[in-house]
Amino acid sequence: MIRIGNVLVSPGEGGVYGERMLEGYRVWDPYRSKFAAYYLLGGELELEPGMRVLYLGAANGTTVSHVADYVETVYAVEFAPRPMQDLLEVARRRKNIVPIMADANRPYEYAPFMEGVDLIYQDVAQPDQIGIAEKNLIFLKPGGHLVLMLKTRSVDVRRDPADVVEEARAGLSQHLDVVDLRWLEPYHHDHAAIVCTRRG
Amino acid sequence: MLQRYWFGDLDEQGCRGAGTDPAALAKRAATLRTGMESYIPIEWETARDCGVVRDREEYIDLLRAVCTTLARKKIAIAYQSRDVELLQMVRMLDELDNVINLLSERAAEWYQVTNPAFSRKYRYLPAKKMPGIIKRGARGGLADVADEIDRLAGVRSRLMREVSARADEVMPNVSALIGGLVAARLLSRAGGLSTLARMPGSTIQVLGSEQALFSHLRGGTPPPKHGIIFQHRRVHNAPREVRGRVARVLAAKLAIAARLDYYRGVLVPEFLDDAQKRIDEAGVVA
Repeated sequence: MIRIGNVLVSPGEGGVYGERMLEGYRVWDPYRSKFAAYYLLGGELELEPGMRVLYLGAANGTTVSHVADYVETVYAVEFAPRPMQDLLEVARRRKNIVPIMADANRPYEYAPFMEGVDLIYQDVAQPDQIGIAEKNLIFLKPGGHLVLMLKTRSVDVRRDPADVVEEARAGLSQHLDVVDLRWLEPYHHDHAAIVCTRRG
Repeated sequence: MLQRYWFGDLDEQGCRGAGTDPAALAKRAATLRTGMESYIPIEWETARDCGVVRDREEYIDLLRAVCTTLARKKIAIAYQSRDVELLQMVRMLDELDNVINLLSERAAEWYQVTNPAFSRKYRYLPAKKMPGIIKRGARGGLADVADEIDRLAGVRSRLMREVSARADEVMPNVSALIGGLVAARLLSRAGGLSTLARMPGSTIQVLGSEQALFSHLRGGTPPPKHGIIFQHRRVHNAPREVRGRVARVLAAKLAIAARLDYYRGVLVPEFLDDAQKRIDEAGVVA
């Protein structure tokens, strides 16, 4: 990952959402993007130039645009029409984003478009985030990674976030090796990044 | 096993490409049904060997064109339903209310400063009447502002009638039970008619009182009896001791009405008569 001082940046055409530029690079703000927060908090999973990425919960395409700066292809899945409008605009300008309007809970809707990917990045505000991740593992190559941004408050507002994360970790480790677990404080409250590797 | 992909079909005999026209490919892709049991992710080289594309760049370009076409179509369908615009209308209406209130309070403060003898005490002077008084008594910027507030109030009442009419059309049964405006607000809170139709009565009952509800769930505080539906006269006019019951019965009937609206879309008089009777009974103090 490219850092200037301790600012995380990405290479690419700026002006996607009014982000700041620094020495010709796009500043990747940890308060807006959980992925950026993960890196600034010491996350070690590098985005490589050859990677193919499945991005679940692409929303307006702000984080997607930064990921696309680093990797080869991003399959960006989003369900809601309003953010999809913005995502299409981002994808129009970045030739390595494939915008897919579908429900991440129903992988069969976009399976006819998918190739095997090296990384699944998931950031969805749904109760069954672990179930969604498991359903999408079919697209992950052996040895590939899953980065799950767990929104504990979407799972259940009444439960202690630490319990929710523990349960998620237990669920994921049935099929995957959990290699990293990181709370995203102070940038995002009650969110944790869980990084897993698919057994090869 | 036959694998159906966006660029063509693939089985033991080989591959049949489906052409290179994005519009045609999108049309075909919309009809594909994939069973996940025997599914294998695409290897893009297959599309090359199939003769659909020449290299990786062409593959991604064509795929992007197909997916974009599909997404645009889906967005258009999602926006087509009449309730989507009603949602924006009612949100604009509530925002207008906010703005008008803020502006008229501020204008009233300003007016008092320019007019030391003026006071709102012991006169029936709601914020609504203030712009008129200010317009007569003030000059310059303040008069301009009062003018503008007046105009906004006009915009607001016209929009309100529009919202009511649209709600009657989009959700006839719900509107018949609690009036177009409150019906539209419920819709706005739920996020759409299909979502509202899937909600249980108990959720509809407390729509709009999320703060009280979650503070109750987190611990301690009493549960809310009503949210948006409090705005309906039969709830806020009901005696305190039966207000919860009226809200509950009304919400239960609203849930049914929302489903009728979503799946049938026409007024159902038999249901409405029965529902009105039940709601009235709930308001009777024993």
